[in-house]
Amino acid sequence: MGFKQENPIFAPMEILKEIGFLLRKEIRLELRTSYAISGILLYVFSTIFIVYTAFQKIQPNVWNALFWIIILFASVSAVVKSFVQENSARQLYYYSLANPISILLSKIIYNIILLLALSLLTWLGFSFVAGSPVRDTGQFFLALLLGSAGFSITFTFIAAISSKADNNATLMAILSFPLIIPILLTLIKLSANALRLMQDTAVQNDIFILLAIDLMLLGVGLALFPFLWRD
Amino acid sequence: MLRKYWWKALSVIILIYVFIAGLTVPLSPGIERVAPTSVRTGDEFSLEVLGYNSRYDKGGPVRAWLKLDNERALEASSVQVQSGRRLTALFRIPEYLPVDRRVQDFTLILDNEADGTSVLPSAVFVTQDSIDPEMGRKAWVNSPVQDLHEEWAMTFPFRNILSETIRNTYFHVPLWFAMIFIFIASVVNSVRYLRGGSLEADNKAQAYTRVGILLGILGLTTGAIWARNTWGAYWSGDVKQNMTAIALLIYFAYFILRAVFEDPEKKARISAVYNIFAFVALIPLIYVIPRLTDSLHPGSGGNPAFGSQDLDNTMRMVFYPAVIGWTLLGFWMGNLLYRMGRLRLKLMDAL
Repeated sequence: MGFKQENPIFAPMEILKEIGFLLRKEIRLELRTSYAISGILLYVFSTIFIVYTAFQKIQPNVWNALFWIIILFASVSAVVKSFVQENSARQLYYYSLANPISILLSKIIYNIILLLALSLLTWLGFSFVAGSPVRDTGQFFLALLLGSAGFSITFTFIAAISSKADNNATLMAILSFPLIIPILLTLIKLSANALRLMQDTAVQNDIFILLAIDLMLLGVGLALFPFLWRD
Repeated sequence: MLRKYWWKALSVIILIYVFIAGLTVPLSPGIERVAPTSVRTGDEFSLEVLGYNSRYDKGGPVRAWLKLDNERALEASSVQVQSGRRLTALFRIPEYLPVDRRVQDFTLILDNEADGTSVLPSAVFVTQDSIDPEMGRKAWVNSPVQDLHEEWAMTFPFRNILSETIRNTYFHVPLWFAMIFIFIASVVNSVRYLRGGSLEADNKAQAYTRVGILLGILGLTTGAIWARNTWGAYWSGDVKQNMTAIALLIYFAYFILRAVFEDPEKKARISAVYNIFAFVALIPLIYVIPRLTDSLHPGSGGNPAFGSQDLDNTMRMVFYPAVIGWTLLGFWMGNLLYRMGRLRLKLMDAL
Protein backbone atom coordinates (compact mmCIF):
# COMPACT_ATOMS: atom_id res chain seq x y z
CA MET A 1 0.00 0.00 0.00
CA GLY A 2 1.42 3.32 -1.04
CA PHE A 3 0.58 6.90 -0.33
CA LYS A 4 -2.96 7.04 -1.71
CA GLN A 5 -3.96 10.66 -1.25
CA GLU A 6 -1.66 11.82 -4.00
CA ASN A 7 -3.15 9.68 -6.75
CA PRO A 8 -6.93 9.94 -6.86
CA ILE A 9 -7.24 6.98 -9.26
CA PHE A 10 -10.19 4.86 -8.19
CA ALA A 11 -9.05 1.25 -7.89
CA PRO A 12 -11.86 -1.07 -6.75
CA MET A 13 -9.61 -4.11 -6.19
CA GLU A 14 -7.20 -2.07 -4.10
CA ILE A 15 -10.08 -0.71 -2.02
CA LEU A 16 -11.53 -4.17 -1.44
CA LYS A 17 -8.14 -5.41 -0.27
CA GLU A 18 -7.78 -2.43 2.05
CA ILE A 19 -11.27 -2.96 3.45
CA GLY A 20 -10.39 -6.58 4.20
CA PHE A 21 -7.24 -5.55 6.07
CA LEU A 22 -8.97 -2.77 8.00
CA LEU A 23 -11.92 -4.97 8.89
CA ARG A 24 -9.60 -7.59 10.32
CA LYS A 25 -7.85 -4.84 12.28
CA GLU A 26 -11.16 -3.56 13.70
CA ILE A 27 -12.25 -7.03 14.81
CA ARG A 28 -8.86 -7.82 16.31
CA LEU A 29 -8.89 -4.51 18.17
CA GLU A 30 -12.36 -5.21 19.51
CA LEU A 31 -11.45 -8.70 20.69
CA ARG A 32 -8.23 -7.49 22.25
CA THR A 33 -9.96 -4.86 24.37
CA SER A 34 -13.31 -6.52 24.84
CA TYR A 35 -14.46 -4.00 27.44
CA ALA A 36 -16.39 -1.97 24.85
CA ILE A 37 -18.56 -4.79 23.56
CA SER A 38 -19.07 -6.28 27.01
CA GLY A 39 -20.05 -2.84 28.29
CA ILE A 40 -22.72 -2.55 25.63
CA LEU A 41 -23.97 -6.07 26.28
CA LEU A 42 -24.21 -5.26 29.96
CA TYR A 43 -26.14 -2.12 29.07
CA VAL A 44 -28.54 -4.07 26.84
CA PHE A 45 -29.21 -6.80 29.37
CA SER A 46 -29.71 -4.43 32.29
CA THR A 47 -32.10 -2.33 30.18
CA ILE A 48 -34.04 -5.44 29.24
CA PHE A 49 -34.22 -6.40 32.89
CA ILE A 50 -35.37 -2.93 33.98
CA VAL A 51 -38.01 -2.89 31.26
CA TYR A 52 -39.15 -6.37 32.24
CA THR A 53 -39.46 -5.60 35.96
CA ALA A 54 -41.25 -2.32 35.20
CA PHE A 55 -43.78 -3.82 32.79
CA GLN A 56 -44.09 -7.47 33.93
CA LYS A 57 -46.50 -8.44 31.15
CA ILE A 58 -45.53 -6.81 27.85
CA GLN A 59 -48.11 -6.37 25.09
CA PRO A 60 -46.85 -6.96 21.51
CA ASN A 61 -47.15 -3.28 20.48
CA VAL A 62 -45.26 -2.19 23.61
CA TRP A 63 -42.72 -4.96 22.95
CA ASN A 64 -42.16 -3.55 19.46
CA ALA A 65 -41.59 0.01 20.69
CA LEU A 66 -39.35 -1.01 23.61
CA PHE A 67 -37.28 -3.34 21.43
CA TRP A 68 -36.40 -0.61 18.95
CA ILE A 69 -35.73 1.96 21.66
CA ILE A 70 -33.28 -0.44 23.34
CA ILE A 71 -31.63 -1.12 19.95
CA LEU A 72 -31.45 2.61 19.18
CA PHE A 73 -29.63 3.58 22.37
CA ALA A 74 -27.40 0.52 22.31
CA SER A 75 -26.44 1.29 18.69
CA VAL A 76 -25.56 4.90 19.44
CA SER A 77 -23.31 3.91 22.31
CA ALA A 78 -21.77 1.10 20.26
CA VAL A 79 -20.95 3.27 17.26
CA VAL A 80 -19.93 6.49 19.01
CA LYS A 81 -16.43 5.20 19.75
CA SER A 82 -15.73 4.33 16.08
CA PHE A 83 -13.43 7.27 15.44
CA VAL A 84 -12.19 8.09 18.91
CA GLN A 85 -10.94 4.78 20.28
CA GLU A 86 -7.56 5.23 18.58
CA ASN A 87 -5.49 8.35 19.10
CA SER A 88 -5.35 10.94 16.37
CA ALA A 89 -1.73 10.29 15.48
CA ARG A 90 -2.46 6.68 14.67
CA GLN A 91 -5.57 7.70 12.72
CA LEU A 92 -3.42 10.02 10.64
CA TYR A 93 -1.14 7.07 10.01
CA TYR A 94 -4.08 5.00 8.71
CA TYR A 95 -5.17 7.83 6.46
CA SER A 96 -1.70 8.07 5.01
CA LEU A 97 -1.75 4.34 4.28
CA ALA A 98 -5.26 3.73 3.03
CA ASN A 99 -7.93 5.39 0.95
CA PRO A 100 -10.44 7.30 3.18
CA ILE A 101 -13.27 5.51 1.38
CA SER A 102 -11.98 2.13 2.53
CA ILE A 103 -11.57 3.43 6.07
CA LEU A 104 -15.18 4.58 6.21
CA LEU A 105 -16.49 1.46 4.47
CA SER A 106 -14.58 -0.89 6.77
CA LYS A 107 -15.97 0.92 9.81
CA ILE A 108 -19.50 0.80 8.39
CA ILE A 109 -19.24 -2.93 7.60
CA TYR A 110 -17.75 -3.62 11.01
CA ASN A 111 -20.58 -1.69 12.68
CA ILE A 112 -23.21 -3.54 10.62
CA ILE A 113 -21.83 -6.84 11.91
CA LEU A 114 -21.63 -5.48 15.46
CA LEU A 115 -25.16 -4.02 15.43
CA LEU A 116 -26.65 -7.13 13.84
CA ALA A 117 -25.08 -9.30 16.54
CA LEU A 118 -26.24 -6.80 19.15
CA SER A 119 -29.84 -6.77 17.90
CA LEU A 120 -29.94 -10.56 17.65
CA LEU A 121 -28.71 -10.79 21.25
CA THR A 122 -31.28 -8.20 22.33
CA TRP A 123 -33.99 -10.19 20.59
CA LEU A 124 -32.81 -13.34 22.34
CA GLY A 125 -32.55 -11.70 25.76
CA PHE A 126 -35.85 -9.84 25.43
CA SER A 127 -37.63 -13.00 24.29
CA PHE A 128 -36.12 -14.89 27.20
CA VAL A 129 -37.67 -12.64 29.85
CA ALA A 130 -40.71 -11.21 28.07
CA GLY A 131 -41.59 -13.80 25.41
CA SER A 132 -41.32 -13.24 21.68
CA PRO A 133 -44.45 -12.02 19.89
CA VAL A 134 -42.70 -12.31 16.50
CA ARG A 135 -44.92 -14.19 14.07
CA ASP A 136 -42.94 -13.84 10.85
CA THR A 137 -39.35 -14.60 11.78
CA GLY A 138 -37.96 -14.06 8.26
CA GLN A 139 -39.47 -10.62 8.00
CA PHE A 140 -38.35 -9.65 11.48
CA PHE A 141 -34.82 -10.77 10.67
CA LEU A 142 -34.93 -8.71 7.48
CA ALA A 143 -36.00 -5.71 9.57
CA LEU A 144 -33.05 -6.29 11.91
CA LEU A 145 -30.66 -6.58 8.96
CA LEU A 146 -31.91 -3.43 7.22
CA GLY A 147 -32.03 -1.64 10.56
CA SER A 148 -28.43 -2.54 11.40
CA ALA A 149 -27.36 -1.33 7.97
CA GLY A 150 -29.25 1.97 8.26
CA PHE A 151 -28.15 2.63 11.85
CA SER A 152 -24.57 1.73 11.01
CA ILE A 153 -24.34 4.00 7.95
CA THR A 154 -25.95 7.00 9.66
CA PHE A 155 -24.29 6.63 13.06
CA THR A 156 -20.82 5.88 11.66
CA PHE A 157 -20.91 9.01 9.53
CA ILE A 158 -22.23 11.14 12.38
CA ALA A 159 -19.58 9.61 14.66
CA ALA A 160 -16.99 10.79 12.14
CA ILE A 161 -18.44 14.32 12.31
CA SER A 162 -18.75 14.44 16.07
CA SER A 163 -15.29 12.96 16.64
CA LYS A 164 -13.99 16.34 15.44
CA ALA A 165 -15.47 18.01 18.53
CA ASP A 166 -14.29 17.66 22.11
CA ASN A 167 -17.59 16.68 23.69
CA ASN A 168 -18.42 14.10 21.08
CA ALA A 169 -20.91 11.81 22.88
CA THR A 170 -23.45 14.62 23.41
CA LEU A 171 -22.98 15.93 19.88
CA MET A 172 -23.46 12.42 18.52
CA ALA A 173 -26.91 12.14 20.15
CA ILE A 174 -27.98 15.63 19.08
CA LEU A 175 -26.95 15.12 15.45
CA SER A 176 -28.00 11.52 14.93
CA PHE A 177 -31.40 11.20 16.60
CA PRO A 178 -33.32 13.50 14.24
CA LEU A 179 -31.56 11.96 11.24
CA ILE A 180 -32.41 8.40 12.24
CA ILE A 181 -36.16 9.01 12.72
CA PRO A 182 -37.24 8.25 9.10
CA ILE A 183 -35.33 4.95 9.18
CA LEU A 184 -36.63 4.12 12.65
CA LEU A 185 -40.27 4.84 11.74
CA THR A 186 -40.10 2.61 8.68
CA LEU A 187 -38.40 -0.11 10.73
CA ILE A 188 -41.07 0.00 13.43
CA LYS A 189 -43.73 -0.32 10.74
CA LEU A 190 -41.91 -3.26 9.15
CA SER A 191 -41.46 -5.07 12.44
CA ALA A 192 -45.06 -4.34 13.50
CA ASN A 193 -45.96 -6.22 10.36
CA ALA A 194 -43.69 -9.11 11.35
CA LEU A 195 -45.42 -9.14 14.75
CA ARG A 196 -48.78 -9.20 12.94
CA LEU A 197 -49.84 -6.03 14.75
CA MET A 198 -50.98 -4.79 11.37
CA GLN A 199 -51.52 -6.37 7.99
CA ASP A 200 -49.60 -4.42 5.41
CA THR A 201 -50.04 -5.65 1.89
CA ALA A 202 -47.34 -3.33 0.60
CA VAL A 203 -44.50 -4.60 2.75
CA GLN A 204 -42.06 -4.59 -0.15
CA ASN A 205 -42.67 -0.84 -0.34
CA ASP A 206 -41.23 -0.35 3.15
CA ILE A 207 -38.30 -2.64 2.38
CA PHE A 208 -37.65 -0.69 -0.78
CA ILE A 209 -37.76 2.63 1.10
CA LEU A 210 -35.31 1.36 3.71
CA LEU A 211 -32.94 0.08 1.04
CA ALA A 212 -33.20 3.37 -0.87
CA ILE A 213 -32.53 5.48 2.24
CA ASP A 214 -29.60 3.25 3.23
CA LEU A 215 -28.02 3.40 -0.22
CA MET A 216 -28.57 7.14 -0.56
CA LEU A 217 -26.98 7.90 2.81
CA LEU A 218 -24.12 5.50 2.04
CA GLY A 219 -23.47 7.24 -1.28
CA VAL A 220 -23.45 10.72 0.24
CA GLY A 221 -21.37 9.52 3.17
CA LEU A 222 -18.75 8.07 0.86
CA ALA A 223 -18.71 11.22 -1.26
CA LEU A 224 -18.34 13.51 1.75
CA PHE A 225 -15.97 11.53 3.95
CA PRO A 226 -12.77 12.57 2.10
CA PHE A 227 -13.57 16.18 3.15
CA LEU A 228 -14.11 15.19 6.74
CA TRP A 229 -11.15 13.17 7.90
CA ARG A 230 -8.32 15.65 7.41
CA ASP A 231 -7.62 18.07 10.20
CA MET B 1 -29.35 50.90 -7.76
CA LEU B 2 -32.69 49.69 -9.13
CA ARG B 3 -30.87 47.78 -11.85
CA LYS B 4 -29.04 45.75 -9.23
CA TYR B 5 -31.76 45.35 -6.64
CA TRP B 6 -34.82 45.06 -8.90
CA TRP B 7 -35.67 41.63 -7.47
CA LYS B 8 -36.06 43.04 -3.97
CA ALA B 9 -38.57 45.60 -5.23
CA LEU B 10 -40.24 42.85 -7.24
CA SER B 11 -40.66 40.66 -4.17
CA VAL B 12 -42.32 43.51 -2.26
CA ILE B 13 -44.64 44.36 -5.15
CA ILE B 14 -45.60 40.72 -5.67
CA LEU B 15 -46.27 40.17 -1.97
CA ILE B 16 -48.41 43.33 -1.74
CA TYR B 17 -50.39 41.98 -4.71
CA VAL B 18 -50.65 38.56 -3.03
CA PHE B 19 -51.90 40.07 0.23
CA ILE B 20 -54.45 42.34 -1.46
CA ALA B 21 -55.75 39.84 -4.02
CA GLY B 22 -55.49 36.85 -1.70
CA LEU B 23 -57.46 38.49 1.08
CA THR B 24 -60.03 40.56 -0.84
CA VAL B 25 -61.18 38.51 -3.85
CA PRO B 26 -64.52 36.97 -2.80
CA LEU B 27 -65.32 33.28 -2.76
CA SER B 28 -67.62 31.94 -5.46
CA PRO B 29 -71.18 31.08 -4.41
CA GLY B 30 -71.50 27.75 -2.67
CA ILE B 31 -73.76 25.68 -0.46
CA GLU B 32 -72.91 25.89 3.21
CA ARG B 33 -75.32 23.30 4.59
CA VAL B 34 -78.64 21.58 3.99
CA ALA B 35 -81.31 20.01 6.18
CA PRO B 36 -82.38 17.23 6.43
CA THR B 37 -79.25 15.30 5.51
CA SER B 38 -80.74 11.83 5.75
CA VAL B 39 -84.08 10.61 4.36
CA ARG B 40 -85.70 7.30 3.46
CA THR B 41 -86.91 5.98 0.12
CA GLY B 42 -90.43 7.06 -0.77
CA ASP B 43 -90.08 10.30 1.20
CA GLU B 44 -91.34 13.57 -0.15
CA PHE B 45 -89.39 16.23 1.66
CA SER B 46 -88.44 19.89 1.44
CA LEU B 47 -84.71 20.45 1.55
CA GLU B 48 -83.64 23.66 3.27
CA VAL B 49 -80.51 25.08 1.73
CA LEU B 50 -78.19 27.67 3.24
CA GLY B 51 -75.98 29.24 0.62
CA TYR B 52 -72.71 31.09 0.92
CA ASN B 53 -72.13 34.32 -1.02
CA SER B 54 -75.18 33.33 -3.06
CA ARG B 55 -77.84 35.48 -4.70
CA TYR B 56 -80.82 33.18 -5.07
CA ASP B 57 -83.24 36.13 -5.10
CA LYS B 58 -81.58 37.73 -8.11
CA GLY B 59 -81.20 36.56 -11.67
CA GLY B 60 -83.96 34.22 -12.65
CA PRO B 61 -85.35 30.97 -11.29
CA VAL B 62 -83.16 28.56 -9.29
CA ARG B 63 -83.12 24.92 -10.36
CA ALA B 64 -82.02 22.10 -8.07
CA TRP B 65 -80.98 18.48 -8.62
CA LEU B 66 -80.01 15.56 -6.44
CA LYS B 67 -77.42 13.71 -8.49
CA LEU B 68 -76.94 9.94 -8.10
CA ASP B 69 -74.13 9.49 -10.61
CA ASN B 70 -72.96 11.06 -13.83
CA GLU B 71 -76.06 10.03 -15.78
CA ARG B 72 -78.83 9.86 -13.21
CA ALA B 73 -80.35 12.70 -11.21
CA LEU B 74 -83.63 13.83 -9.63
CA GLU B 75 -84.87 17.37 -10.21
CA ALA B 76 -86.69 19.34 -7.55
CA SER B 77 -90.40 19.69 -8.33
CA SER B 78 -90.42 23.24 -6.97
CA VAL B 79 -87.93 25.66 -5.50
CA GLN B 80 -89.00 28.44 -3.11
CA VAL B 81 -86.52 31.24 -2.57
CA GLN B 82 -86.72 32.89 0.87
CA SER B 83 -83.75 35.22 0.59
CA GLY B 84 -80.41 35.54 -1.15
CA ARG B 85 -78.94 32.82 1.03
CA ARG B 86 -81.95 30.66 1.84
CA LEU B 87 -84.17 28.48 -0.30
CA THR B 88 -86.32 25.38 0.02
CA ALA B 89 -86.41 22.70 -2.67
CA LEU B 90 -89.10 20.03 -2.86
CA PHE B 91 -87.84 16.51 -3.74
CA ARG B 92 -89.49 13.12 -3.97
CA ILE B 93 -87.32 10.02 -3.57
CA PRO B 94 -88.76 6.95 -5.40
CA GLU B 95 -89.71 3.77 -3.54
CA TYR B 96 -86.73 1.88 -4.93
CA LEU B 97 -83.31 3.10 -5.98
CA PRO B 98 -81.43 1.59 -8.95
CA VAL B 99 -78.49 0.65 -6.70
CA ASP B 100 -77.92 -2.34 -4.41
CA ARG B 101 -76.43 -0.29 -1.58
CA ARG B 102 -78.37 0.24 1.63
CA VAL B 103 -77.35 3.89 2.01
CA GLN B 104 -76.79 5.98 -1.08
CA ASP B 105 -75.44 9.53 -1.08
CA PHE B 106 -76.72 12.20 -3.43
CA THR B 107 -74.93 15.31 -4.60
CA LEU B 108 -76.89 18.54 -4.51
CA ILE B 109 -76.55 20.81 -7.55
CA LEU B 110 -78.05 24.31 -7.68
CA ASP B 111 -78.08 26.53 -10.73
CA ASN B 112 -79.26 30.04 -11.48
CA GLU B 113 -78.20 32.87 -13.71
CA ALA B 114 -76.65 35.13 -11.07
CA ASP B 115 -74.46 32.55 -9.32
CA GLY B 116 -73.88 29.89 -11.95
CA THR B 117 -73.66 26.33 -10.68
CA SER B 118 -72.89 25.34 -7.10
CA VAL B 119 -72.37 21.79 -5.90
CA LEU B 120 -72.46 20.11 -2.48
CA PRO B 121 -71.10 16.54 -2.67
CA SER B 122 -72.82 13.90 -0.50
CA ALA B 123 -75.46 16.39 0.59
CA VAL B 124 -78.26 13.92 1.27
CA PHE B 125 -78.04 10.28 2.36
CA VAL B 126 -80.96 8.06 1.36
CA THR B 127 -81.60 4.86 3.32
CA GLN B 128 -83.38 2.13 1.35
CA ASP B 129 -86.12 0.29 3.22
CA SER B 130 -85.90 -2.65 0.84
CA ILE B 131 -83.27 -3.12 -1.82
CA ASP B 132 -84.28 -4.02 -5.35
CA PRO B 133 -82.06 -2.46 -8.06
CA GLU B 134 -84.16 -3.98 -10.87
CA MET B 135 -87.38 -2.33 -9.65
CA GLY B 136 -85.49 0.88 -9.05
CA ARG B 137 -84.12 0.89 -12.59
CA LYS B 138 -87.62 0.43 -14.04
CA ALA B 139 -89.29 3.06 -11.91
CA TRP B 140 -86.50 5.65 -12.24
CA VAL B 141 -87.57 8.89 -13.87
CA ASN B 142 -84.39 10.54 -14.96
CA SER B 143 -84.07 14.29 -15.18
CA PRO B 144 -80.48 14.88 -16.27
CA VAL B 145 -78.53 17.89 -15.08
CA GLN B 146 -78.39 20.19 -18.10
CA ASP B 147 -78.51 23.79 -19.36
CA LEU B 148 -76.18 24.94 -16.61
CA HIS B 149 -75.02 28.53 -16.45
CA GLU B 150 -71.31 28.94 -16.90
CA GLU B 151 -70.52 32.08 -14.94
CA TRP B 152 -66.98 33.31 -14.95
CA ALA B 153 -66.17 35.72 -12.17
CA MET B 154 -63.02 36.79 -10.37
CA THR B 155 -63.59 34.48 -7.39
CA PHE B 156 -61.87 31.73 -5.47
CA PRO B 157 -63.66 28.38 -5.39
CA PHE B 158 -65.91 27.56 -2.45
CA ARG B 159 -64.90 24.30 -0.77
CA ASN B 160 -67.12 23.03 1.94
CA ILE B 161 -64.82 22.51 4.92
CA LEU B 162 -62.26 25.07 3.77
CA SER B 163 -64.59 28.00 2.95
CA GLU B 164 -62.70 31.26 3.66
CA THR B 165 -59.55 29.47 4.88
CA ILE B 166 -58.79 28.58 1.26
CA ARG B 167 -56.90 31.90 1.21
CA ASN B 168 -54.22 30.25 3.33
CA THR B 169 -53.14 28.51 0.11
CA TYR B 170 -51.20 31.71 -0.72
CA PHE B 171 -49.27 31.63 2.55
CA HIS B 172 -48.95 28.06 3.80
CA VAL B 173 -48.07 26.31 0.53
CA PRO B 174 -45.72 28.92 -1.03
CA LEU B 175 -43.79 29.16 2.26
CA TRP B 176 -42.89 25.46 1.86
CA PHE B 177 -41.85 26.01 -1.75
CA ALA B 178 -39.70 28.96 -0.68
CA MET B 179 -38.18 26.92 2.17
CA ILE B 180 -37.10 24.15 -0.20
CA PHE B 181 -35.58 26.65 -2.66
CA ILE B 182 -33.67 28.33 0.17
CA PHE B 183 -32.41 25.01 1.54
CA ILE B 184 -31.26 24.03 -1.97
CA ALA B 185 -29.36 27.33 -2.20
CA SER B 186 -27.80 26.57 1.17
CA VAL B 187 -26.67 23.09 0.05
CA VAL B 188 -25.29 24.49 -3.20
CA ASN B 189 -23.17 26.90 -1.17
CA SER B 190 -22.00 24.10 1.12
CA VAL B 191 -20.92 22.07 -1.93
CA ARG B 192 -19.20 25.14 -3.31
CA TYR B 193 -17.30 25.56 -0.06
CA LEU B 194 -16.13 21.94 -0.04
CA ARG B 195 -14.98 22.25 -3.65
CA GLY B 196 -12.46 24.85 -2.66
CA GLY B 197 -14.69 27.83 -1.97
CA SER B 198 -13.94 30.59 0.46
CA LEU B 199 -15.51 31.23 3.86
CA GLU B 200 -17.92 33.47 1.96
CA ALA B 201 -19.70 30.37 0.59
CA ASP B 202 -20.01 28.91 4.08
CA ASN B 203 -21.31 32.24 5.31
CA LYS B 204 -24.00 32.15 2.61
CA ALA B 205 -24.90 28.54 3.46
CA GLN B 206 -25.50 29.34 7.12
CA ALA B 207 -27.46 32.51 6.28
CA TYR B 208 -29.78 30.60 3.92
CA THR B 209 -30.24 27.82 6.46
CA ARG B 210 -31.34 30.40 9.02
CA VAL B 211 -33.92 31.82 6.60
CA GLY B 212 -35.02 28.29 5.67
CA ILE B 213 -35.69 27.50 9.31
CA LEU B 214 -37.69 30.73 9.68
CA LEU B 215 -39.78 29.88 6.60
CA GLY B 216 -40.25 26.36 7.95
CA ILE B 217 -41.52 27.64 11.28
CA LEU B 218 -43.87 30.03 9.47
CA GLY B 219 -45.09 27.20 7.25
CA LEU B 220 -45.69 25.02 10.29
CA THR B 221 -47.54 27.83 12.10
CA THR B 222 -49.79 28.76 9.17
CA GLY B 223 -50.45 25.05 8.71
CA ALA B 224 -51.33 24.59 12.38
CA ILE B 225 -53.79 27.51 12.26
CA TRP B 226 -55.31 26.06 9.12
CA ALA B 227 -55.52 22.63 10.73
CA ARG B 228 -57.29 24.15 13.77
CA ASN B 229 -60.02 25.45 11.47
CA THR B 230 -60.41 22.47 9.18
CA TRP B 231 -59.21 19.32 10.97
CA GLY B 232 -60.19 20.52 14.45
CA ALA B 233 -56.82 20.69 16.23
CA TYR B 234 -53.55 22.57 15.90
CA TRP B 235 -51.60 19.32 15.88
CA SER B 236 -53.25 16.19 14.53
CA GLY B 237 -50.14 14.02 14.35
CA ASP B 238 -50.41 14.09 10.58
CA VAL B 239 -47.39 12.53 8.89
CA LYS B 240 -46.37 15.77 7.19
CA GLN B 241 -46.58 17.70 10.46
CA ASN B 242 -44.40 15.13 12.20
CA MET B 243 -41.87 14.97 9.37
CA THR B 244 -41.60 18.76 9.26
CA ALA B 245 -40.98 18.92 12.97
CA ILE B 246 -38.16 16.36 12.53
CA ALA B 247 -36.75 18.31 9.58
CA LEU B 248 -36.59 21.44 11.74
CA LEU B 249 -34.84 19.46 14.49
CA ILE B 250 -32.22 18.35 11.95
CA TYR B 251 -31.54 21.95 11.01
CA PHE B 252 -31.46 23.12 14.64
CA ALA B 253 -28.76 20.49 15.14
CA TYR B 254 -26.82 22.18 12.31
CA PHE B 255 -26.53 25.35 14.41
CA ILE B 256 -25.58 23.41 17.53
CA LEU B 257 -22.81 21.79 15.49
CA ARG B 258 -21.60 25.20 14.30
CA ALA B 259 -21.52 26.51 17.84
CA VAL B 260 -19.21 23.68 18.92
CA PHE B 261 -16.23 24.69 16.78
CA GLU B 262 -14.10 27.77 17.38
CA ASP B 263 -11.89 27.68 14.31
CA PRO B 264 -13.89 29.18 11.39
CA GLU B 265 -12.31 26.94 8.72
CA LYS B 266 -13.02 23.78 10.69
CA LYS B 267 -16.51 25.03 11.54
CA ALA B 268 -17.19 25.73 7.87
CA ARG B 269 -15.90 22.39 6.63
CA ILE B 270 -17.68 20.17 9.13
CA SER B 271 -20.96 22.05 9.04
CA ALA B 272 -20.89 21.94 5.22
CA VAL B 273 -20.48 18.17 5.34
CA TYR B 274 -23.35 17.88 7.83
CA ASN B 275 -25.55 20.24 5.80
CA ILE B 276 -25.24 18.09 2.66
CA PHE B 277 -25.76 14.85 4.61
CA ALA B 278 -28.81 16.31 6.37
CA PHE B 279 -30.31 17.56 3.12
CA VAL B 280 -30.07 14.08 1.62
CA ALA B 281 -31.62 12.58 4.76
CA LEU B 282 -34.37 15.19 4.45
CA ILE B 283 -35.51 14.04 0.99
CA PRO B 284 -37.20 10.82 2.17
CA LEU B 285 -38.64 12.79 5.09
CA ILE B 286 -40.40 15.34 2.92
CA TYR B 287 -40.99 13.61 -0.39
CA VAL B 288 -41.11 9.85 0.12
CA ILE B 289 -42.62 8.89 3.47
CA PRO B 290 -45.63 11.26 3.41
CA ARG B 291 -46.58 9.90 -0.02
CA LEU B 292 -46.67 6.31 1.22
CA THR B 293 -48.58 6.96 4.44
CA ASP B 294 -52.11 8.12 5.06
CA SER B 295 -52.25 11.84 5.52
CA LEU B 296 -54.92 14.44 6.03
CA HIS B 297 -53.18 16.65 3.49
CA PRO B 298 -54.50 16.88 -0.07
CA GLY B 299 -52.91 14.43 -2.48
CA SER B 300 -52.48 11.50 -0.10
CA GLY B 301 -54.51 8.91 1.74
CA GLY B 302 -57.32 9.06 -0.79
CA ASN B 303 -57.69 12.81 -0.57
CA PRO B 304 -57.87 14.64 -3.89
CA ALA B 305 -54.53 15.88 -5.14
CA PHE B 306 -53.70 19.51 -5.31
CA GLY B 307 -54.72 19.85 -8.92
CA SER B 308 -57.45 21.28 -11.10
CA GLN B 309 -60.01 20.58 -8.36
CA ASP B 310 -58.45 22.76 -5.71
CA LEU B 311 -56.44 25.23 -7.68
CA ASP B 312 -58.54 26.92 -10.33
CA ASN B 313 -57.35 29.57 -12.74
CA THR B 314 -58.15 32.51 -10.46
CA MET B 315 -56.20 30.90 -7.64
CA ARG B 316 -53.26 30.22 -9.94
CA MET B 317 -53.11 33.95 -10.69
CA VAL B 318 -52.30 34.52 -7.02
CA PHE B 319 -50.62 31.23 -6.10
CA TYR B 320 -47.70 31.25 -8.56
CA PRO B 321 -46.79 34.91 -7.86
CA ALA B 322 -46.97 34.05 -4.15
CA VAL B 323 -44.37 31.29 -4.62
CA ILE B 324 -42.06 33.71 -6.45
CA GLY B 325 -42.69 36.51 -3.95
CA TRP B 326 -41.97 34.47 -0.83
CA THR B 327 -38.89 32.90 -2.43
CA LEU B 328 -37.46 36.29 -3.41
CA LEU B 329 -38.19 37.68 0.05
CA GLY B 330 -36.41 34.66 1.54
CA PHE B 331 -33.34 35.32 -0.59
CA TRP B 332 -33.42 38.99 0.42
CA MET B 333 -33.44 38.02 4.09
CA GLY B 334 -30.61 35.55 3.43
CA ASN B 335 -28.71 38.32 1.65
CA LEU B 336 -28.97 40.61 4.70
CA LEU B 337 -27.91 37.81 7.02
CA TYR B 338 -24.80 36.87 5.07
CA ARG B 339 -23.75 40.49 4.74
CA MET B 340 -24.02 40.67 8.51
CA GLY B 341 -21.93 37.52 8.78
CA ARG B 342 -19.31 39.03 6.44
CA LEU B 343 -19.06 42.11 8.64
CA ARG B 344 -18.57 39.87 11.64
CA LEU B 345 -15.77 37.97 9.86
CA LYS B 346 -14.10 41.29 8.97
CA LEU B 347 -14.40 42.46 12.55
CA MET B 348 -12.78 39.24 13.78
CA ASP B 349 -9.87 39.78 11.40
CA ALA B 350 -9.46 43.34 12.59
CA LEU B 351 -9.38 42.41 16.25
